[in-house]
Amino acid sequence: MNITFNNQLLRRSQSLIALFLLCALIALLSDKFLTATNLWNVLRQISVNVCIAVGMTLVVLMAGIDLSVGSVLAFSGAVCAGLIKYGFAFESLDLFVGFTVLGGILGAMLVGLLLGLFNGWVITKFVVPPFVATLAMLTIARGMTMLYTQGIPVSNLGPELEYIGSGWLLGIPVPVWISLIVVLVFVFISRRTAFGRYIYAIGGNEKVAFLSGININRIKLAVYGLAGMLAAVGGVMVTARLNSAQPNAGMTYELDAIAAVVIGGTSLSGGVGSVTGTVIGAAIIGVLNNGLVLLNVSPFWQQVAKGVVILLAVIIDKMNRKEA
Amino acid sequence: MKKIYKYGLLLLALGFLGYHSVYFKKLSAVRAQAGAEFDFQAYADSIYYQGMLKNDRAVGLPALLAAVRTDADGAFEQYGNRLGIGNSAYFMVSCAGEIAEITADEIRLVTDEAGPVSINTRYIFGNALRDASGLVKLTDFKTNAEFNRVSEALNALIRTKVIPPVVQQLRAGDRIEVTGAVKLSKKTPEHPEIVITPAQIKPE
Repeated sequence: MNITFNNQLLRRSQSLIALFLLCALIALLSDKFLTATNLWNVLRQISVNVCIAVGMTLVVLMAGIDLSVGSVLAFSGAVCAGLIKYGFAFESLDLFVGFTVLGGILGAMLVGLLLGLFNGWVITKFVVPPFVATLAMLTIARGMTMLYTQGIPVSNLGPELEYIGSGWLLGIPVPVWISLIVVLVFVFISRRTAFGRYIYAIGGNEKVAFLSGININRIKLAVYGLAGMLAAVGGVMVTARLNSAQPNAGMTYELDAIAAVVIGGTSLSGGVGSVTGTVIGAAIIGVLNNGLVLLNVSPFWQQVAKGVVILLAVIIDKMNRKEA
Repeated sequence: MKKIYKYGLLLLALGFLGYHSVYFKKLSAVRAQAGAEFDFQAYADSIYYQGMLKNDRAVGLPALLAAVRTDADGAFEQYGNRLGIGNSAYFMVSCAGEIAEITADEIRLVTDEAGPVSINTRYIFGNALRDASGLVKLTDFKTNAEFNRVSEALNALIRTKVIPPVVQQLRAGDRIEVTGAVKLSKKTPEHPEIVITPAQIKPE
């Protein structure tokens, strides 16, 4: 009995142990790793991926996938920048509608939410596989970003927005605060609310969930909407950090988000996993990236290393499930 | 009754967010205010037409590459311009050659003495032109953001007004002269790929 409990505990803590071992290894090889500046940098760098990956976790827990988050991030970031910088001008009414930084952020989040809801609508209404529906959105949102920005970065958005990407609050970088709030909110939602339990139930067995009276389509719609909105939060953070919306922002971010989810122990077949696991997964990727840079490893090898880690995570997960 | 409180609170929250998110002004007043502020576009126009096109700062690309190969430090000191420390600097260069290919983004030019180069015609961004020109000083502006707006205005002028009408007339096989900015690094003295951010393209 005791052995079984310990095995379960070990299995649940695998990614955390991997993170500690990775940190210890890099700290041994590079004396710069454990400096405060570097650790804050790592946290700042992973905060965008954490936000996106939290949304992806909910989707994957439902046995879905969202490949569009990188493009949604770019489009919502561009909308945020466009609203703040240009607003709307109505010539005939001699009226200018301007947006504060808060307005830009809310506008971006609304755009992210709408694009996510559209994903959910296509998936539920037309029974399109999530992979295909979100792959289509990946292209649509990227195209919309190019159309909106004309392929040109929207820059110089003012110090207020820049503060969100580069500022400090109570000794902690603002992006880290944002990702912390996102994590806390979604840990609560996934663990303590009926909505959270429905997500696990749908991922565990969709038919049983349906028969037990869960409105599956509504939950799916909401989850894809939330994933889009969290991608938009990431978009605002990237735009704020650069003080500029880049049309090609967020390229391949969906892969980093999926990697964080998988490394964090969430099963791609749904029903098993957690938001906290994803945070650890994102931290592993962030620390790995940072460590390889500190150790002067070629960027090409960095990609190989990241791929190997993801592969290992999936294999270990499969082995665990067989044992269980 | 509870529903009334719930929706009431929601409405209040939306009202609060809306009030702090959007503001309304007379369009004419906004434009008048913009006009009263420092006109970066006019400044960029003057830098371009009065300075960049008239000064003789541009060095021949073949001569520059040869100088960098033999004495990188000397060449960077004599022709280059950089704001901070580092191995890279911007140079204003000129060269002539025959167009090999024109794409939506660039012109591939086979130069007479400096081999093939790419000329950006669509994505003209960054500080290459401003810094290579050597005509704009950081100390002339209060903030980095203002300093960067000069680049933005200069790039916009060249990207939208200067380059498109010329490029429309060009075909593969035409000969052109180009003046523009390049970024070179001491770390890679051979510079296998030269990309020019153009200030001017002239058919020969």
